Amino acid sequence: MAWSHLRLSALPQQGGVLTKNNPLTPAARRALVESRKRASLGWRIIHWLGSLQLALVLLSTIAIACAAATIAESEFSTKIAQTYIYKAPWFLVWLGVLCINLFSVTLTRWPWEKKHVGFIITHYGIITLLVGAMIGLHTGFEGNVTLHKDKPPLRKVTVNRSIIQVESPTDTALYVMPFDASVARPSIKSPRVFDVPGTQLRIVADDFSDNLRKEETLAQSSKGGPGVLLRFTSPRMAQIVDMPLVLESDSPTEKDFFGLANIVLQRDPPMKTEATPPETQMVFGRFAPVVQGSNIPTGVAVSLSQDGRKVTISTADATSATYLREEIMRKPLAAAGSLVTVEDYWPDFEMRDGRPTTKSGDPNNPAALVRIQSSSGDGKPALVLSPKGNGISYQLQRSGKSYANGVAEKGDSFALGWADWEAELIESLPMAEITTFLKPGLPLPEGEVGIPGFRAKLTSNETSNVPSRWVPSGEITTLTDGKNVVRIGYGLELRPVPFSIRLVDFEVPRYEGTETPSNFIASVEFQDAATGELKTGTARMNHPASFPGTILANITGINYKFSQAEWNPRDLDETTLQVLYDPGWLFKWLGSLLVCVGISIMFYLKPKSTPRPS
Amino acid sequence: MSRSFFQYIAVAAVVFLTSPALFAIDTSGIEDIAIQEGGRKKPFLVFAHETLLGMTGKSSFSKDGRSLNAIFTVTSIWLAPKGWENEPLILINNQKFKSQVGLNPRKKLFAYRELAESGALRTALNEVSNLRSKNPRASLDIIQREVSNIGMRLALFEGLVSGNLVTLLPTAAAAWSPLPTEDPALIELRRGLLQNNQGAFNRGLELLRSEQASEEVRFQADPAKIAIEVAYQKIHPFRWAWILYLVAGILLITIPGSAGYILGWIFSGAGFLLQVSGFVLRILISGRAPVTNMYESVVWVAFGTILFALIFEAIYRSRYFLLGAVPVAVASLILADTQPVILNSAINPLVPVLADNFWLTTHVLSITLSYGAFALALGVGHIILGKTIFGSKASPALNNYLYRTLQVGVLLLAVGTLLGGVWANYSWGRFWDWDPKETWALIALLVYLFLLHGRIAGKWAGFGMAVGAVLAFQSIIMAWYGVNFILGVGLHSYGFGSGGLPGAVAFVSVEFLFVAIAVFRHRFLARKAATA
Repeated sequence: MAWSHLRLSALPQQGGVLTKNNPLTPAARRALVESRKRASLGWRIIHWLGSLQLALVLLSTIAIACAAATIAESEFSTKIAQTYIYKAPWFLVWLGVLCINLFSVTLTRWPWEKKHVGFIITHYGIITLLVGAMIGLHTGFEGNVTLHKDKPPLRKVTVNRSIIQVESPTDTALYVMPFDASVARPSIKSPRVFDVPGTQLRIVADDFSDNLRKEETLAQSSKGGPGVLLRFTSPRMAQIVDMPLVLESDSPTEKDFFGLANIVLQRDPPMKTEATPPETQMVFGRFAPVVQGSNIPTGVAVSLSQDGRKVTISTADATSATYLREEIMRKPLAAAGSLVTVEDYWPDFEMRDGRPTTKSGDPNNPAALVRIQSSSGDGKPALVLSPKGNGISYQLQRSGKSYANGVAEKGDSFALGWADWEAELIESLPMAEITTFLKPGLPLPEGEVGIPGFRAKLTSNETSNVPSRWVPSGEITTLTDGKNVVRIGYGLELRPVPFSIRLVDFEVPRYEGTETPSNFIASVEFQDAATGELKTGTARMNHPASFPGTILANITGINYKFSQAEWNPRDLDETTLQVLYDPGWLFKWLGSLLVCVGISIMFYLKPKSTPRPS
Repeated sequence: MSRSFFQYIAVAAVVFLTSPALFAIDTSGIEDIAIQEGGRKKPFLVFAHETLLGMTGKSSFSKDGRSLNAIFTVTSIWLAPKGWENEPLILINNQKFKSQVGLNPRKKLFAYRELAESGALRTALNEVSNLRSKNPRASLDIIQREVSNIGMRLALFEGLVSGNLVTLLPTAAAAWSPLPTEDPALIELRRGLLQNNQGAFNRGLELLRSEQASEEVRFQADPAKIAIEVAYQKIHPFRWAWILYLVAGILLITIPGSAGYILGWIFSGAGFLLQVSGFVLRILISGRAPVTNMYESVVWVAFGTILFALIFEAIYRSRYFLLGAVPVAVASLILADTQPVILNSAINPLVPVLADNFWLTTHVLSITLSYGAFALALGVGHIILGKTIFGSKASPALNNYLYRTLQVGVLLLAVGTLLGGVWANYSWGRFWDWDPKETWALIALLVYLFLLHGRIAGKWAGFGMAVGAVLAFQSIIMAWYGVNFILGVGLHSYGFGSGGLPGAVAFVSVEFLFVAIAVFRHRFLARKAATA
């Protein structure tokens, strides 16, 4: 230990002997300490490092930091607490300072007497414990492995550590580096740059999402059937949804729209189905409307301004919207579950030969023919589409009855009558295919877990403005700058172990009369990769299975321990075991033992030097 | 026992005077019939008590101004459910939630029908059950925990009305069955209850007993265990314990000299023995150490406080230890006795990880005993601070007592926390992972170590140690109550609960105020001494 060095530097000559018979008086001890502090800088440093003042600062700061961390964990996440406190470099350094303080304080008590035994054991016990923790942190690992009875033995375990893997384009070697995008959270402002080994290339990560979603889009293709890309928007719900549809065969392609409706793409134009009887109104700018054929009162009222330029649609719930008439002619507008279409307009209305005409172009008697089609009723509505020229023809149905139809070109939009949803035809291609891409979704509600990932691009000194791609966790993504190709992987680290493990049996006994598990019992079989030797083990609650599991291995912690971690109530042939490999284990339990013994000695076996106050 | 006995007499009198025809029948004969529920076999008495408490948060139900006991209420909901759906039986505590779903925030109990008809409540229940089914370990916020509790209360009511909860027939070891509808015992019991026919009810009980006995013996409940549990349920050992402790405290204060001291010893010793017997019964019933939930740990800490006080009294013959321990123990036991919703006394199955008596005994017992020692230090600290407030100075002996008590706590907390690490290494695979419960145990330990090291450094002595003992106990409150009830994250989730926050905040605030007053007085006295 660092011991001998200190003894050489500055041990006082007088009385430094541990004897039972002549303990130093407190005064003599104080004098000794003062004299050696005067005599040597080494002792001054030791006394400073081992001072109670420093101990008090350490105890209080560690306690405060831990308290802050538990609150951070409760408010944010375990990861945040670990990254900024528990596993942050400053905290580890601080624990190191604590070790130095604990060690130095035992030196300041030199020469040791019998009354110091408990004190020394306790303080060295804590050091041993912390040393064990350091060894465990650096040479051991924690991970998990999900085993299934019907699956072959596994040779790798998943470690609770996110990594990025980069395959070098020069030698196809694999480079691994710890990287947790959910904690580091790369952004445009503070991107994270990884050099690709052996090249001038760099991977720049500049955005993060914890909820990557696979989205579909339409692409031109040399084969494949006709395809359309529709964009659905709902201003009230502030939602935009793109939906590509491709007709692969003669049978129609059908997609579900949030369970709200069905979207059908078919080769032939939609059949003429029985139409829901509409309500038509002749609306005058200066007179009351004439209502016709209304067997479903929709509660929608339409009025025309006196100059015939504006149309106001009001609904039963007293909301109203005013439009410029010219802009909405023959376009269905959604209003309270109904579609309102201004079919025709006459500025100077007159009936001639039983037909409406206009006397002049001046708005002397403006009138509009309005059709109000109720889309409400039972059954899920459907939007049936078929390609037509460069666009589509569509029909809106509910309960097999059509309530609106029309034709849309690229860029046209039409109301659907499902709440305030509207559809816009973004693209229509004669030969198309559906391609998928990743896109960050909305932030997830608490408690739900999505696919995390970061956005990355491959850059070098020569290239700029290369496109970015999202790199999801658990997949291999190919990045390119146009010339070079680099494959990267992101996700939890898989660590090989020197044996294979197989689940033989898994049992979940229950408390009587309930579904509450009373234990989890996993029988596993290990096979040594070197010798091929087979060994069985049982992991029960509080009783882990271990490999190699010999007494020596169990004491030292040079041992792989498998304890029950998770189970799948839906598949009782599957279980997830926690894996621990901890060479610091011996130090940890030895340190714990020393601390307990030391405190007991210090408090209860101390020679009665100080008289008890009466 | 006296309380419930007098209640019973009162109820019987009221019933007899007002409507002799109604509730005239005595259902208590059903109390020792075995039932399998909640993962174990228990007497009907306990089942009725737990079920009523689970639904209403109370151990009796008042109907038309009459107080009905748990057995009668539960038996009546089970056998004659008609009309009960309109009785206020379902407890909802959270005021914010009540306003959210449009229920009267001032009411505590609601009728099943009222809740069943609330669309907003149904939506909330669906949301929480969806959340749970997606991720069984999703952490729930206070409102969601309340919703989940309401769901369980509604399920209890439904289980009683349908009879599915009342599994009385030992048809198989894995699961007993409820009585079939045409079962003669059920018919007789129902007839007895509906027609106020005591004879029919008793005949029904006899039929039920013989039906149970006719099933295979290996599926049946152990009659001795059932008898023990009936006795435990009726004796209320922990209630008697706090009454005796209270008497001991009063005698210690009011009667000076050795007479008061001896009487204090006798009464606190008697209370202590009652607590011990209560634990023995509980261990016999559950087959495990009695420290598996918040209720048990509160009772255990009261026990630990008295235990250390008695040990120290035996050594030092001072009355300060008992005087310091009694208020803490009485307050904890009263809390456990009167707050059954927050501190649930039911004996429920353990999560598998806890079902290990070795670790439960070593780790949990030493941790909770350390809480007991610190609670005693809190009591002794209060005495020192109280003396200061009243202008007198604590003797060096009293200061030494406080130090001795703190030593016990520090040793036990250190041992318990390290044992926890060793246990965690066995069951979860790792020694230490900064789980909130682990971390707060460490913080509490660091706080007390800070206190002890500051004393060695000469930063503070007698009065400062008393201030420290009171303030440091707040970290125990956090480690004990706060982690489980406020933070609500981490692996020690089996102890999680909700409620009692205003009380905890009030306790902590009063403690801080008390310390502030004492410090103020101390400064004042010191200045006066300096000028004099």
